[in-house]
Amino acid sequence: MQPGYVLVKEQLFFRKELIERLPWLIRLRWAVVVFGFAGCGAIYFFWQWLPLPLMAILSGVLCYNLLFLFVWRRLSPFKSQGAHSDFDSSFIRAQDVLRFNVFAHAQISLDLLALCMAIWYSGGVCSPLALFVIFHIILTGILLQPLSCYLYGVLVLLTLGGLVWFQPGVHSPIFPLWYQHVILPHDGNPVAKDFIGIVRYVTLVVAVLITAFLVTTLKLSLRTKGRELLRLSKAIDASNTKLTALYDMVKEMGMSTESKALMDSATRRAAGIMGVKACSIKLLDEQHKNLRFASTYGLSEEYIKSKESIDIQKSPINRKIIDGAVYAIGHIEERDYFAYPEDIRKEGIASLICLPLRVEKRILGVFCVYSDADASFTESDVRFFALMADLTAMEIEKLNTQLNRIWFLQKAAHQLRSPLHAVVSMLRILQKGYLGEMNVKQEETVLRCEKRLELLDSLVKDLLNLSIRRTALNPDALHRVQLSEVLRVLSGLFGSQAREKTIDIIFHIDENLPAVMATDRLLDDLFTNLISNALKYTPPGGKVTVCLTRAEEGGIRLEVADTGIGIPEQDFSRLFSEFYRAENAKDFTETGTGLGLVIVKEILDQLKGTISVSSSIGEGSTFVCHLP
Amino acid sequence: MSGVTDILVIDDDKDLVESMRIILESRQYGVRVAYNGKQGYEKIEAKIPDLIILDVMMATDTDGFDLAYKLKHQHEYQNIPIIMATSFPQKMAEEGSDKFQHILGESWPISHFIEKPIDPEDLLIIMEKILAEHKIEMNQSSV
Repeated sequence: MQPGYVLVKEQLFFRKELIERLPWLIRLRWAVVVFGFAGCGAIYFFWQWLPLPLMAILSGVLCYNLLFLFVWRRLSPFKSQGAHSDFDSSFIRAQDVLRFNVFAHAQISLDLLALCMAIWYSGGVCSPLALFVIFHIILTGILLQPLSCYLYGVLVLLTLGGLVWFQPGVHSPIFPLWYQHVILPHDGNPVAKDFIGIVRYVTLVVAVLITAFLVTTLKLSLRTKGRELLRLSKAIDASNTKLTALYDMVKEMGMSTESKALMDSATRRAAGIMGVKACSIKLLDEQHKNLRFASTYGLSEEYIKSKESIDIQKSPINRKIIDGAVYAIGHIEERDYFAYPEDIRKEGIASLICLPLRVEKRILGVFCVYSDADASFTESDVRFFALMADLTAMEIEKLNTQLNRIWFLQKAAHQLRSPLHAVVSMLRILQKGYLGEMNVKQEETVLRCEKRLELLDSLVKDLLNLSIRRTALNPDALHRVQLSEVLRVLSGLFGSQAREKTIDIIFHIDENLPAVMATDRLLDDLFTNLISNALKYTPPGGKVTVCLTRAEEGGIRLEVADTGIGIPEQDFSRLFSEFYRAENAKDFTETGTGLGLVIVKEILDQLKGTISVSSSIGEGSTFVCHLP
Repeated sequence: MSGVTDILVIDDDKDLVESMRIILESRQYGVRVAYNGKQGYEKIEAKIPDLIILDVMMATDTDGFDLAYKLKHQHEYQNIPIIMATSFPQKMAEEGSDKFQHILGESWPISHFIEKPIDPEDLLIIMEKILAEHKIEMNQSSV
C-alpha cells in the first residue's frame, strides 16, 4: 500500500463525521427557511406588516441551499447506499477529501453571512438573533479543524463590532435598521414594549430548543461512536486472542520434528482457542479414495475407531472439500451432508466446518472443526480456520520435505560409503597379509590408498552430519547433560590414540560441574572434533591439554590446547569456513576434511555457546569454548 | 558341537562378504553367507549358526534390524549372538532417524555394533570375545 493512500484513508476516517454531517446541515437549513418564513407570516398576521429584508435573506438561504443540495448530489460518494450507510472509504480519492472541506467551508461562510445580514436588519448587536452566532461557532468547532473554528469566531466578532460601529449614535447607518426604525420609534407605546418582550422571549425559546437539539444530537452521535468503539475493541480483543493462538500454533508446529506432533499441536490449538468442541485432521491416502484420521483433539476413541477410514464417495461433506470447495459448513439437520448423522449426534456435535489442507492446488486432506452448538460458526470464524488450515498444510508439507531430504541424504551417504567400505576392507585384507605377504613398496602403496579412502569416508560422514544439522529441523531435542561424563568416556579413546602418536594428553575435568542443555551426541561431536584436531596437528612428542572447568562468568569453559603447528594469523577469519584448511595444516597432513571446525561452530550455535582461538606458529593453538 | 565354529555373514555387498570370508576362514571359522534378510533366515532355519554378522540396510532400510527382531522373538534363535555391521556411525544407528524409531522402545537384540569399513583385527577380537562370553552363558544355563 502506498503511503499517500494510507494518509488519505486516515484523513477520511477523521473526515467521516464531516461527510456525514454535510447533508444534515442542508436538511437543517430547510428547517431554518421554513421556520423563518413562518415567523414572517406571524409578524404579518399580528402587525399586517412584512419584514421584506428578512424574507429576502431567507430566499437567499433557500437558493443557496438548493445549490448545495445539487452540489452534494454530484459530490456524494454513496448515492446508491444513502448518506448514512457505512461507506467504504477506499472508494473516495484524495481530491474528494479536499472537495468535502471546501464544501463545508462554503456552507458555513454563507450561513454566517446570511445570519450577519439578518442580525443587521433586525437591530445590530441588540438584535435577539445575535445569540444565534454561537450555534454556528459550535457547528464549526464540531465539523472543521480548531483553527477554522477560531478564525470564524474572530470573523463573527469583527462583523458584530462593525455593526456596533454603524449603529445609530455611534455612526450613521447605511440602511435604516428595521428593529430600531420600525419597532423602537414606538417607544413608550405599551404594544411596542410587549412586542420587544415577545420577540426576546421567542428568540430565547428558539435558542433553548436549538441548544437542546444540538446537544442531544451530539450526545447521540457520541454514544453511537462509543458503542462502535466498544464493539471494535471487543473485536480487536478477539482477533488478538486468535492471532496469539495462531502465532503459538505456528511456533509449536515449526518446532515439531515429526508429522504426528505437528498435527497434534494444530488440532489442540485450534480446539483450545475458539472454544470449539473438537478438531481433527484427516489425510488422503495415496489412491485419493479414503480419508484417515491423522490427528484428533476432543473426539472419543469410539468415534475415531468407527470412522477409521472414510470413503470419500460416501461422505458428501468431505467429497465437497476434496472436489475443491473452499469450505463446507455442515449442520446435523442437513441430511444430505452426513452419511451417519446418528454417530455424529451421539458424539455431541451439532455443526462442523470442513476446510481443505491444501498446498497450492494439491489437497493433502481435510481440516475439521466441530461445535456442539448448531450454526455457531460465523464468516470470520471460517476465515480464521481457513488460515489455520492453510498454515497447517504448509507446515506439514515443509516437514515432509525436510524429512524426505534427510532420508535422501542418509541414503545417498550410505550408497556413497558402501563401495568405499568394501574397497577399504579388501585393501586391509591385502595389507594385513591375509592374501600373502607383500613387499614393502606394495604395502606402502596399499596403505596410501587406504588412507585416501578413509579421508573420503570421513568427508562423506562430515558432509552428512553437516547437511542434516543445516536442515531447519532440529534433530536433537536438548536435555540436561553432564559434560564431564561425556568427556570422561572419550578420554579413554583419545588416550590410546595419543599413545599411538606418542603425544602426551592430559585431561583436567572439574568435578561438580553444572549440567548443560545439550545432547550426548552433540557434545560427543564437539569434543571429538576439537580433540582429534589437536592430536592431528601436534607432532609426536607434543602435548595436548583438555580442561573442562566452571567459567568465571557462569556456564562452562572448555579449553583444548596443543603444542602443535599453530595457525597463521591471516587464517583465523576463515577457520570456520567450509573446506578451508590452513596452508601449514595441508603441508602437515593430508587427512582433514576442512569441515571439523564448521561442525564445531554449528554445534556451538545450536547450544548458544561461543568459541575463540589463540595461536602462534610452531608453538601451538588453544581453542576456548563457552557453554551457557 | 562339531569343532568348527559356524559363522553366518548376511550382507548385500558381495565384495564385503568375500573379504569377511577371507578374514574368517584364515582363523578356521566355518563361513556361510546370505545376501538379504530372507535368505539369511532360511540359512538359520537350515542350521543354527554360532554367530551372525548382520548388515543393517539391505533389501530395505531396516532389513537387518527386522531380521534381528524376528530372531529375538523366537525361542530357538533368541540366543544367537549378533554383530551388527553398519556404514552409519554407531551413534546414529542408536539415536536413530525415524526409520529406526520403532526399535528404540525395546532393548537392543544386538550383541555388538561394528562400524564399516571393517578392520580385520578388530572384527576377530570382538568375535572371539563374544563367542567366549556366549559359551560361558550357555554353560551356565545348561548347568
